[in-house]
Amino acid sequence: MLPLSLLKTAQGHPMLVELKNGETYNGHLVNCDTWMNIHLREVICTSKDGDRFWRMPECYIRGNTIKYLRVPDEVIDKVQEETKRSDRKPPGVGRGRGRGRDDNSAGRSSKGIGRGGLEDGGGRGGRGKGLSGSKPSGNRGKN
Amino acid sequence: MSGRKETVLDLAKFVDKGVQVKLTGGRQVTGTLKGYDQLLNLVLDEAVEFLRDPDDPLKTTDQTRRLGLIVCRGTAVMLVSPTDGTDEIANPFVQPDGA
Amino acid sequence: MLLSELISVITNDGRNIVGILKGFDQATNIILDESHERVYSTKEGVQQIVLGLYIIRGDNISIVGELDEDLEARLDLTELRAHPLKPVIH
Repeated sequence: MLPLSLLKTAQGHPMLVELKNGETYNGHLVNCDTWMNIHLREVICTSKDGDRFWRMPECYIRGNTIKYLRVPDEVIDKVQEETKRSDRKPPGVGRGRGRGRDDNSAGRSSKGIGRGGLEDGGGRGGRGKGLSGSKPSGNRGKN
Repeated sequence: MSGRKETVLDLAKFVDKGVQVKLTGGRQVTGTLKGYDQLLNLVLDEAVEFLRDPDDPLKTTDQTRRLGLIVCRGTAVMLVSPTDGTDEIANPFVQPDGA
Repeated sequence: MLLSELISVITNDGRNIVGILKGFDQATNIILDESHERVYSTKEGVQQIVLGLYIIRGDNISIVGELDEDLEARLDLTELRAHPLKPVIH
């Protein structure tokens, strides 16, 4: 499984992103591309030392500044479903990429699936865990 | 690899609005987005840089410096967000360890 | 191949993350499932912090290694003391 496929599947899900400068961003993934550039919504930014916080409605983060992404556990199961589905129609996928129009519509539909899954699965609980987990990482240097 | 629609974020909706930009190296500026290109080069008007603590360059202070009309080079742009709705807040996370 | 195996990753910021390798790409970006961080200290035993599902960017990875599960089972991490790693300086 490719890291970027997992990330694509995580669209619509909450996630934690740590940048190389140590800042962390908690938000819902709206979109991502092959460079790992990401667009988050409803974001909370935490400073490197974990003592200042900002909320922002959305933000764009350049892929090469990312250290790691923490995604909800259930997302990995959804990737497998989606790869199976696309296995059945590989020629269509291959062709579609050539046309700009297809690119767009494919992105929309997969996003729709991700959204539905989040609500059904009650992803909220997982999010809470993820958020509080971000804090110790800021402290770990002191321990 | 296609030239069009490769950017994840449509900057068009931020034109003539306030944006906050973080740059590699730690500089942080806000300004009114006047223009941009697909390489994420940005034109900001009435740009203001947030100066950093000389002892700890990771921290931004409330001191600012007016830069006026500037171009941010795309390769150095780390993060873009709208200033509208962006606020510093108290710790929103429940702290298990009380630290 | 190391896929689905328990691996240990050392990142440029000196963290040691252990998890099951679920995927990787050309840029050494990796997917770690059920991952946890091992925090080393000279004063107390190794702390394990549960992280869950992680995508680690290749830029930030220094070392990827296989873990010997038998050896792991014999290790008592709570008794282990070690200096924390220093971050990579560029």
